[in-house]
Amino acid sequence: MFLFNPYKFNKTADYLFKPILFLSIILFSFGLLYSLFLSPDDYQQGTTVRIMYVHVPSAWLSLMTYAIMTLYSVAALAFRIPFGFIVNSAIAPIGAVYTLICIISGSLWGKPMWGTWWVWDARLTSVALLFIIYLIIIFMNLSFENRIVKEKVIAIFILVGSINLPIVKFSVDWWNTLHQPATISKLSKPSIDPSMMTPLIIMTFAFIMIGISIAILRIKTEIISRKSNLR
Amino acid sequence: MISFLSKIGSFYYREYKLNLSGFQDILTNIIFFFVSIFIFIFSIGPEKETISLIGVGIVWTLLLLSSTLSLRKFYQDDFENGNLLLMRLNGFSYGFISILKTFSHFLFVQVPFLLSIPIACILLNIANDKVVYLFASFAIGSLILSCLGSISSSMNLMNQRNFLLGSLIVMIFSVPIIIFSVGIINMEKNFYSLMSVLVGILLIVFSINPWASGLCLKLSLENN
Repeated sequence: MFLFNPYKFNKTADYLFKPILFLSIILFSFGLLYSLFLSPDDYQQGTTVRIMYVHVPSAWLSLMTYAIMTLYSVAALAFRIPFGFIVNSAIAPIGAVYTLICIISGSLWGKPMWGTWWVWDARLTSVALLFIIYLIIIFMNLSFENRIVKEKVIAIFILVGSINLPIVKFSVDWWNTLHQPATISKLSKPSIDPSMMTPLIIMTFAFIMIGISIAILRIKTEIISRKSNLR
Repeated sequence: MISFLSKIGSFYYREYKLNLSGFQDILTNIIFFFVSIFIFIFSIGPEKETISLIGVGIVWTLLLLSSTLSLRKFYQDDFENGNLLLMRLNGFSYGFISILKTFSHFLFVQVPFLLSIPIACILLNIANDKVVYLFASFAIGSLILSCLGSISSSMNLMNQRNFLLGSLIVMIFSVPIIIFSVGIINMEKNFYSLMSVLVGILLIVFSINPWASGLCLKLSLENN
């Protein structure tokens, strides 16, 4: 139940924080070493394929962060669990940073491969909209005076904006885009070689661990600031 | 039942008085629309081919911008002088207030823009047979814009610092509408398929609108 109760979350996070931080450092350094030096070059893209090991995990995590925020908004609004509001305001900047990393690394990858920094196709546009939605959530966090109204309005906005999530996910299947469709999915065998799959998975777990450790710090700070505001 | 209908009738009479007796507000919006068209033409250059190529996009962008100008009148004035509370005390639920307000915004703010579209088409050198498509797409798209305006302005009732956030929310969610409705005009063969996509978006937004804006109205009135 530590995912829904601030008190239990604090106790569990105290145990979990240091191992997760340690794990994230190890995974990240090992993953960077593997993906930048040990993994093979692509036969077509050459060494620029290594951008994938940053681009793809950050894109997955930007979607995953928004999905987590949506779930917590439903929990907070429908089941009256106020911990959801704390999580929403704590992890929105993390998702924004992941989306920014995804956009920047993607345009750095697009310049040598597609010949342009940016195209207005469905996937890129919907990811840019996702980034702006994250920014609006952060601005709303800063600009309301009344805390009760603020957190509920933000939860409603997150639910309305979650329309964008399936559009981002399936935009490569629904429209003809320059961006390639997903190579790795649960239902079918991945069309990627194991020598590239392994560093990708390591980097994904490293990104998840970094995200979780920052999220723990931010959620604890949020809980402390709410306690001090109540007095 | 009859008293309920008469309440709705008096609500719309009040909205009519507020919006159309002070006609200069709407006239200012429409003049803003035309002056922006002039500025667009002067900044692009007066070649006829270029203007007729991007004219539809200009009309849609400016319609969106000028309908976000009147966003503040949506709930904010009624919220500040207490009329919203009076409507609630008269037995309207919050969701129903938002539906009524959405239709009144559509009738009294967006429909005058519909009437100014033909003049804009003459100015922008848009072909005559495209005007029908422009009308059809704007008739549906403006209702979607009214619903989005209701959602965003009810979210920003208690937001004292940063009111531009409301127009930002409308503009973010209106991106698919603009894509599909400009697509209707430029690809006339796909008229019915794109039109059904637009109607689908309208139904989604229309069903979200009473829930989202009603909840926001309730929050703002209870915590004011």
